[in-house]
Amino acid sequence: MGTTIRQAVAIAAMNVRSIPQRFWMSVSTVVAIALVVAVLLAFLAMGNGFRQAQSSAGAADIAILLRDGAQTEINSGVSREQALLVEEAPGIARQDGKPLVSAELYVVVDGTNRANGLKSNLPLRGMSLAGVALRHNIHLTQGRMFRSGTNEIVAGRGIVREFSGFDLGSTLRLGQSTWTVVGVFEDGGTVRESELWADVGVVQSATDRLNFFQTIRARLTSPDQMPALKAYVANDPRLKLLVQSEADYFAEQAKQSSDLIQKLGWPLAIIMAIGALAGALNTMYSSVAARGTEIATLRAIGFGGVPTFAGTLAEALVLAVVGGLVGIATAALIFHGYTASTLGANFTQVVFTFKVTPALCASALVLALVVGVIGGIFPAIRAARLPIVGMLGEQ
Amino acid sequence: MAAAFSFQLRHVSKRFVKGKETISVFDNLDLDIPAQDYVAVMGPSGSGKTTLLNVLGGIDHVTSGEVHFNGQRVDTLNESRLSQWRAANVGFIFQFYNLMPVLTAAQNVELPLLLTKLGRKERRRNVAVALDLVDLGDRSKHYPREMSGGQQQRVAIARAIVSDPKVLLCDEPTGDLDRTTADEVLAILALLNREHAKTVVIVTHDPEAASHAKRILHLNKGVFVERTSLS
Amino acid sequence: MNHALLVAKNLGRRKLRTSLMLVAILIAFFLFGCLECFNHAFYASENSAAADRLVSVNKINFTMPLPVSYVERIRQMPGVTHATSQSWFGGYYQDPREPLFMFATDPQGYLDVYPSIQMAPAQKQVWLSDRTALATGRVTAEKYHWKVGDHIPISSNIYSRSNGSHSWDFTVAAIYSAPDDPARESLVLMHQDYFDETVTFGRDQVNMVMFTTSSSKLNDSIAKAIDAAFANSPAETTTDTAAAFNRAFTAQLGNIALIISLVVATAFAAILLIVGNTMVMAVRERTREIGVLKTLGFTGRTICYQILAESLLLAVTGALLGLGAATLVLATTSKMLQGFVSGMQMVPSVFAAGLGWALVLGLVTGAVPAWSGLRLRIATALGRR
Repeated sequence: MGTTIRQAVAIAAMNVRSIPQRFWMSVSTVVAIALVVAVLLAFLAMGNGFRQAQSSAGAADIAILLRDGAQTEINSGVSREQALLVEEAPGIARQDGKPLVSAELYVVVDGTNRANGLKSNLPLRGMSLAGVALRHNIHLTQGRMFRSGTNEIVAGRGIVREFSGFDLGSTLRLGQSTWTVVGVFEDGGTVRESELWADVGVVQSATDRLNFFQTIRARLTSPDQMPALKAYVANDPRLKLLVQSEADYFAEQAKQSSDLIQKLGWPLAIIMAIGALAGALNTMYSSVAARGTEIATLRAIGFGGVPTFAGTLAEALVLAVVGGLVGIATAALIFHGYTASTLGANFTQVVFTFKVTPALCASALVLALVVGVIGGIFPAIRAARLPIVGMLGEQ
Repeated sequence: MAAAFSFQLRHVSKRFVKGKETISVFDNLDLDIPAQDYVAVMGPSGSGKTTLLNVLGGIDHVTSGEVHFNGQRVDTLNESRLSQWRAANVGFIFQFYNLMPVLTAAQNVELPLLLTKLGRKERRRNVAVALDLVDLGDRSKHYPREMSGGQQQRVAIARAIVSDPKVLLCDEPTGDLDRTTADEVLAILALLNREHAKTVVIVTHDPEAASHAKRILHLNKGVFVERTSLS
Repeated sequence: MNHALLVAKNLGRRKLRTSLMLVAILIAFFLFGCLECFNHAFYASENSAAADRLVSVNKINFTMPLPVSYVERIRQMPGVTHATSQSWFGGYYQDPREPLFMFATDPQGYLDVYPSIQMAPAQKQVWLSDRTALATGRVTAEKYHWKVGDHIPISSNIYSRSNGSHSWDFTVAAIYSAPDDPARESLVLMHQDYFDETVTFGRDQVNMVMFTTSSSKLNDSIAKAIDAAFANSPAETTTDTAAAFNRAFTAQLGNIALIISLVVATAFAAILLIVGNTMVMAVRERTREIGVLKTLGFTGRTICYQILAESLLLAVTGALLGLGAATLVLATTSKMLQGFVSGMQMVPSVFAAGLGWALVLGLVTGAVPAWSGLRLRIATALGRR
C-alpha cells in the first residue's frame, strides 16, 4: 500500500512537471474550466446577492400585515380602521408611548436607469415617522429624514446609485406635485435601499388615494409576541389580514426569483462543463500519448498499473483545480460587489449586489473537480493499460 | 549541350548557423549529373550527403553558387515555382518511406497526381501502371500499416514515379530494409534507370546498394574525395 | 481521391480527438442556438409591435390608473384610428402563485387594435356580446385545459367583489391564436364593463390605453397632442410607441441580452482555445508528412488551404450538430417555457449567424497551423531521425 502511494506520488510529480511540455494544451484546459467556473459563479453570485438583499431585510420582530390572499404589498389593500385596530393589539412595541405601527402606501413611480436611460419602476413608500422608527438599522448617509406633511423624499442608497434624479437636493415631479430629495439612507445593502420614502398623507393626496393603505407594519416587543398578534387578528372579523414576520415575507419574495437565476446558472454551467470536459479529455489523452515511452519504461522497471493510473489522474486534477481557482478568482474580481437591479415580486426594481461567498466558491470548485475526475479517469485507464512492449521500441 | 545534363552544380556552398557557430557543409562544390545517370553518393554521417540531395531536390537552399536543371537555373526559383518544378521533375524516395498512414497504397501513389490536371480516370490508370511496375498491383487497397517495409518502400517508389519525373532522388532507400527486400528495391531502381530513362541519385551507406550505380561519389566533409566509375 | 478526401482523412486519423473537439464545438453552438433564440423570443415583443401602435399610461408610472374616459377621448383625437384599454386584474386560476396574464379590456377595441388575433367568428360573437365571457389565448387555454364553453372560477389577488368574495365566474367564450404575436397567446381577456360592475374599488380606471394611428409618421405629433391634452389634470399621461414601451419594460428585468452575449462569448472563447490548440497539435504531429507532401510538389499554399479546410470542416460540422440539437431542444421545450417566453423556436437568422460564426471559428483555429504549414521548411520537417 505504502509503496503504491509512493509510486503514485512519484509519477504524479513527474507528470505535473511535464505539463509545461504541453503548455498551450494545458492552458486551454485550465482556461476552459476557469470560464465554466466563472460563469457558474457569476450566476450563483447574482442569485445569492438578489436573495440576500431581500432575506437580510426581514426582521423577526416586525410583523407585516397584508390583505389575505394578496401575496405582495403592491396587491394588498388595508383601511385606516384596520391600522388603528392593530395599534391596540397585544405585544406591540412602543416608543415615547406611541405604538410602533405604520400603515403604509406602496406606489410605483418612474425612475431613469443610469445604465440604459430607460424608465424603471421604483417603489415610493408612503409612511409615518413611526414607520421609520420601527425599522431597525436605518442610517441616513446624507441629509435628513423627511418631515410629516411635506413633499420631501428620502431615497435609499441603492436607488441613488442605479437611477438618476434622486441625488440629495434633486427635485422631481409626481403628477401635479413637486418633491425634493432631502436625505439618503442605507440599510446594509438590503432591498429597503431600493425604496423611496415619504410622508404617507402627502403620497396619498398626490396619487389620489386618500385613506388608502396597502400594508401595516408593526414592531413587536419581541419575536415571541408574533403568535399573540396572529391570534388577535384571527379573532377580529374586521381584520381579514394575513400576519407574518417580515423575515418570512422577504424570504418568500426572494425565493422565487433567485431560484430562477440559480436554476438557469447550473444547467448552463453543466452544459458548458461538458465542452470543457471534451477539452480536458483531449489534453489528458495527448499527455498519455506523449508520455507513452516514459510510462512503458516505468512499468518495465517495476512501477505498478495503479500508480500509473493515479499519477495520470493527479495531473488532470491539478489542471482542474488550477482552472477552478482561476475561475473563482476571475469571478470574484469581476463580479463580487457588482450591483445590478431587476424587477422584484412587487413589480419594482430591486437593487442588489453580486455576492461571491466561500460556499458558492466551494460548489463551483466541485464542478471543476468533477470535470477533472472524468477528464482524467479515462486517459488514466489508458495509461495504466499501455502495453509495455511496443511502446519501448518505437519512437 | 547543357540539356544533356540533369543537374549541374556550380560553386555551390552551403552553410548554416547553429548557435554561435557557422557550420560549412560544403564549399565551392561543382558537380555534373548527366541525364540518365545513376549516381550513388556515399560518405560518413555528417559528410553532407543528405544536404546535397536536398539541394538537388530544391528542398534546401544553397548559400551561394548555382544549381541548374536541364539548363535551367533552379536555385533562384521562389517556393511556389520550386514546388511546381519538383512536382514535374523530381521523385523523392526516403529511408522511412514516409507514406501517409491515413491513405491506402493507391491513394498514396495518387497524391502527386492531385497536382496535375489529369482526370480521375487517367489518374487511376497511372496509379495502376506505377503499382504494377513495383509489382504491388494487388495491394492497392492496403494501408501502410498492413504492409511490410519492403512493400511500403515500393509504394513510395510508385509514388515517386507516378507523375513520370525525370529524376529520382533516393535518401538511404534501403537503410531500413533487410538484404533480400533491399535487393528487390534496388532492382526496381536499376530497372527505372535502364528501361525508363530515369536519372537516379542515391545517397547510401550500403556498398551493395551503391554497387548498382553507374558511378559512386565519395563525399567527406563536403568534398568529393573519390569518384568511382562502375560501368 | 481528391483534396477533400485528404482533408477528411486527416480529420479521421484520430477519431477520439476529432469527436472530442466536435463535442466541444457542438456544446458551444448548442448554447449559442438556444440562448440567441431565447433572446430573440424575449425581445420579440419589441420587434413584433406594429409601428403604428402607441400606448398612453399614467405619467407617474404605468401601474398607476387612468380614468376609463381617456379611452374615448383618445379615440376621438385626430389621426387615431382605433383605441382600447387594459387593466391588470391580478387574476389566478386555483393556484395564487401562478398569476394569469389577465386584463380587463374593451373587447371590440382590443380586436381592432390587435388585428393579429385570430378568433373563430362564432366565438368572437359570443365574446363580444356576453359580458361575463372570457377570451383566452391558445397557450393559456392549453395550459389549464380550458375548452370553449367551460365555466371557470378565477380569483383576483387585488380586487374583491361587493359580496366580499375574491372569486369571479367566467365562461370561456373564445380561444384565439396570434401566430404573428406569440406573446399575446398567453393572455386572458375579460370585459372592462364586467370589471367596473363587480369590483369594490378601482372601477372606471384603466392601466393603459392602446391605440393605432392612421400613419406611423403621425406618431410623434399625436403622442404630443395626447400628453398635452391631459397635462395639468389629476392623471397626466405619457405616450410612446408600443415598441418603445415594451423595450423599457423588458429592460427592467435586466440586461438579458448582455448576459446572453457574455455567456455565449465565454463558451466561444473556451472552444476557440481548445480547438485552436488541438489543431496546432494535430498539425504539428503531421510535420513530417507535410514535409513529404512538399517534396512531392505540394505548394505551401495548397497545404495551407488543406489545413484551413480541415478546421473549417470541423467547425461547420460541430456547428451544424449544435444548431441541430438546439433546434430539437427548442421544439420540445418551447411548450414548457410558454408563459415565460412565448414562441421559442429556431430562428433562421440565428441559424445563419451560427454558421457565420462557425466559419470564423474554423478560420481562426486553422490560422496558426495553416501559417506554420505554409512556412514549414521541408529540410526541417524531414529532419534527421
